[in-house]
Amino acid sequence: MHDVISAFLDNEPFDGQELSTALATPDGRELLLDLIALRAVVHPALSTAVPAGGSARRPRWIWLSAAAVLVALAAGYQAGRWSDRGAAQVPGTSASGLSAPPAPTSEFRFEPGVNWTDASASGGT
Amino acid sequence: MGESTTLFRAYYAGLVRYFSGAVGHPETARDLAQDVFVRVAAASALPASDEGKRAWVFHIARNIAIDHHRRQRLRQVEPIAIDPAAGSENSADTALFVNQALASLDDLARDVFLMREAAGLSYAEIASVCALTPDAVRSRIHRARLQLREHLQRPLAAARQQPMRAGLTKD
Repeated sequence: MHDVISAFLDNEPFDGQELSTALATPDGRELLLDLIALRAVVHPALSTAVPAGGSARRPRWIWLSAAAVLVALAAGYQAGRWSDRGAAQVPGTSASGLSAPPAPTSEFRFEPGVNWTDASASGGT
Repeated sequence: MGESTTLFRAYYAGLVRYFSGAVGHPETARDLAQDVFVRVAAASALPASDEGKRAWVFHIARNIAIDHHRRQRLRQVEPIAIDPAAGSENSADTALFVNQALASLDDLARDVFLMREAAGLSYAEIASVCALTPDAVRSRIHRARLQLREHLQRPLAAARQQPMRAGLTKD
């Protein structure tokens, strides 16, 4: 395997003896030159997409992020309005948002003068 | 926002090159590179080290490229047919030959090659992004180069007539 030549070109750790062996053959030396030429061919081709000035292009992501924040705020505001509207429709609540006390479900009356702790008076044991 | 801007300045050009090779269309490459930073800006926490940040940014980029390829396959987009044997020395033609050669690689081989060649990631960083060992990265990058060498014989022969430089071009 000649992948030691790739490691050498990529400035990665490699075994010197392995590289020496790989470059001892004409095929290995041709491969080294071809891989250098490959880099010379590929890199400019890929760089054609990079705008002049490299990273100087106005970053669209900032606008997209700002738009995402605005959308989130608007959605939160709208959700809050819906929540208020829903609360206004619950019986016993007023339009101003102040709720009236709920109607009683049972009622106890305490009459003055009746000893309610006396079990014998109510027929209990 | 400051951290995202720093990452944008550091990695935008490399990401555009990576996407350019991955999708073969400059305008799409720039849009996808921007999409990476939309996700970066939305992230709640960033890795602490520079190597970690770079691997993380390219992990996002790889996922975006995979999503893009998936959508393209659903749309059944036909690649542009080019004849590399024509051997034009025009740089625009060479760029098309390169894109066609890159398109002939399988997705993983193209990714590891581009992360190294277009973005300058180390084998360890690529291994982290692609869930491989550094040895596997070394082997896959080399095999990708051998395939590209086969596809680009004429442009390579022309390049060998010019003065050459072994290192990666600086941004």
